[in-house]
Amino acid sequence: MTPNFVILCAAGMLVTAYLMVGQKSLFTTIRLYGVQSLLLATVAVVMAISDNRPHLFVMVTMTTVLKGFVIPLFLMRVVDRVGIHREIEPFLNVPASLLACLGLTVVGYRVSTGFPEGTIGVTHHVLGVGLSTMLIGLFLMVTRKKAITQILALLTVENAIFLIALGITSGMPLVVELGIFFDVILAVLVLGVLVRRIVDRFESMDVSRLSKLKG
Amino acid sequence: MTLLIWTLLVPLLTAALGAIRAPRKVEELVIVGGLSVTFLLCLATAGQFLSGVIPAAFNDTLRVDGLSALVLVLCGFVGLLSSTYGVGYMRRNDARGLVTPRMRQEFSVLTPAYVFAMLLVAVSNNLGILWIAVELTTLTSVFFVAFHNRDTSLEAAWKFLMLGSLGLGFALLGTVLLFASAQGALGEDLSALHWTRFMAEASRLHPFTLRLGVVFLLIGYGTKAGLAPMHTWKPDAYREAPSPAGVMMAVGMLNAALYCLLRVHLISKAALGAEFSGTLLLALGLLSVLVAVPFILIQWNLKRLLAYSSIEHVGIMAVGIGLSADAAVYGALLHMTYHTFAKPVAFFSAGTLAQLHRSSNFAEIGPGTLARAPISSALLLLAALFVTGSPPFSLFFSEMMILRAGFSGPYVMATAAFLLALVVLFCGFVYQIGGLVLGQRPADRKTHADPESWDWGLVVTLIAAALAVVSTFYLPGTLVSLIRAAADVVSGGR
Repeated sequence: MTPNFVILCAAGMLVTAYLMVGQKSLFTTIRLYGVQSLLLATVAVVMAISDNRPHLFVMVTMTTVLKGFVIPLFLMRVVDRVGIHREIEPFLNVPASLLACLGLTVVGYRVSTGFPEGTIGVTHHVLGVGLSTMLIGLFLMVTRKKAITQILALLTVENAIFLIALGITSGMPLVVELGIFFDVILAVLVLGVLVRRIVDRFESMDVSRLSKLKG
Repeated sequence: MTLLIWTLLVPLLTAALGAIRAPRKVEELVIVGGLSVTFLLCLATAGQFLSGVIPAAFNDTLRVDGLSALVLVLCGFVGLLSSTYGVGYMRRNDARGLVTPRMRQEFSVLTPAYVFAMLLVAVSNNLGILWIAVELTTLTSVFFVAFHNRDTSLEAAWKFLMLGSLGLGFALLGTVLLFASAQGALGEDLSALHWTRFMAEASRLHPFTLRLGVVFLLIGYGTKAGLAPMHTWKPDAYREAPSPAGVMMAVGMLNAALYCLLRVHLISKAALGAEFSGTLLLALGLLSVLVAVPFILIQWNLKRLLAYSSIEHVGIMAVGIGLSADAAVYGALLHMTYHTFAKPVAFFSAGTLAQLHRSSNFAEIGPGTLARAPISSALLLLAALFVTGSPPFSLFFSEMMILRAGFSGPYVMATAAFLLALVVLFCGFVYQIGGLVLGQRPADRKTHADPESWDWGLVVTLIAAALAVVSTFYLPGTLVSLIRAAADVVSGGR
């Protein structure tokens, strides 16, 4: 039952990534990111218990508190202050985007078969899902115009990397993991500050308007 | 407390002191004094290494070998030089009422913090800590890019942070994959990510996972180094950052990022042979040099011109490392040293010209700056000769060394393309700078140039130029043995 549950949660993360691609309301996208982080934490909990890796619980706590609640709330506050709630028409429309993401998922699964653990069982699915989610995050980053969506895309990539780390290793050393968390939080704070400044200046958070610097 | 820990602690303390609001003179004294002590400590640490003791701390998490010692000394030097120039830069802006107390405070916190992050990169033996340190440099420099709070600086800062974070995301994935390639043989505690342990276990790493990890790491840290095609943040960021910070990014960060690339290259070389990552570095380096060509020829902004020159130089170093011959590696490290001496002159004199004309666009500055600001213009011309690698100046010799090694190795065609690009870049760069400095400004175009005066910034530029000229003809014996030691690490993997 446990392996199936892990696969279910990991697949849930992939589903949230797809939903983010199809979503235009910024609030919903932020909530989807929160759900995705909680699913990541669940994967980590199950792995910590079934494989007896107690040090994963630190990561679980941090993921739940920071990525599940603090970062989404912070981003929602930024959106609220800015007063812009919807993503405008992306560079690529939604059906085409979803089709492209389907292709990326196939690529992600194909790559995951090359790993020593990748040919069988749970790890194969976790790796496949992780790589696909990462590719979808990258895709989201290049096709969206709103600053907040770009931050969320970046955070999705980062979640996917953590999922890959869970699947392929027995968790990174604790000090390093804490350092990474600290850096991610700092990056989100700095990005939030920048978004506020950009909105103050340009009265929009459409980053495709940031196009003065060329050559 | 060992020497090594003090080397890291002093810039951190300087940053903390910089946060306290104090009279201008005191703040200037703190930042320059703190970074002077830091530089001396860097020298002392390198001296300790040369005397045969390996400086290390925290169970080898921080460890100085030849390569680290060289990068440590160069980064310490750049930190001191640019903070000293920075004092002059801030004074000039202050005189024109452009500096708020918050800006000055930001400057005196960020500069030592940035130096701290760079030094941490140079001495960390742990790939996880290395990643964290590189992320720290990104987060501090984004404030430098947004420093002037103009429309364009926000745009540059946004692009810089997005691209930088993405690059670091790749580097993180690469680190995870590298860790996974050991398949648990290294254990689970912090020492499992030690570079030295990877080198010891190199033959047992899983090839597929390792290859994938190396590719991600090279792309990730390559983004920080500004290798094409991940270089697009560079021109924007260099244009918007204040020129002292520009130097730290163009020289200090470049050296630190190249150091990360070298560490990855060495693991890959020990496990898979030099071919795999060497070819990748060669391709990225060659692409960077080629990409710089058209943009230097059509450039319209002085600081962006310098950014493309920096892309060219990181390309040259990557080519040198990628060629993998001992002579080419030595040439690349020598190039790194010479570049560290030469580039600040270009940035400082260009920064002065931009400050005097209140713009860094060619249309506003030139032509004929020699008549308006003779000393800075002459120094810029000198710097142009340096960074284009014209004889008899230092960078010519290191470039020749790489080229000779290239032509006697298996990559003759690539080296030929490389040489051709260097020649075109030389012509383009000298043409652009010459057009800016010489000639006469048409009478119908108004200039708003402040007169050049003998202030602090100009004195520092002159000192930097003197150091660059001296370094051409005479490198101190200690520095030469450091470069040798670094080349030994890269060639022998010791």
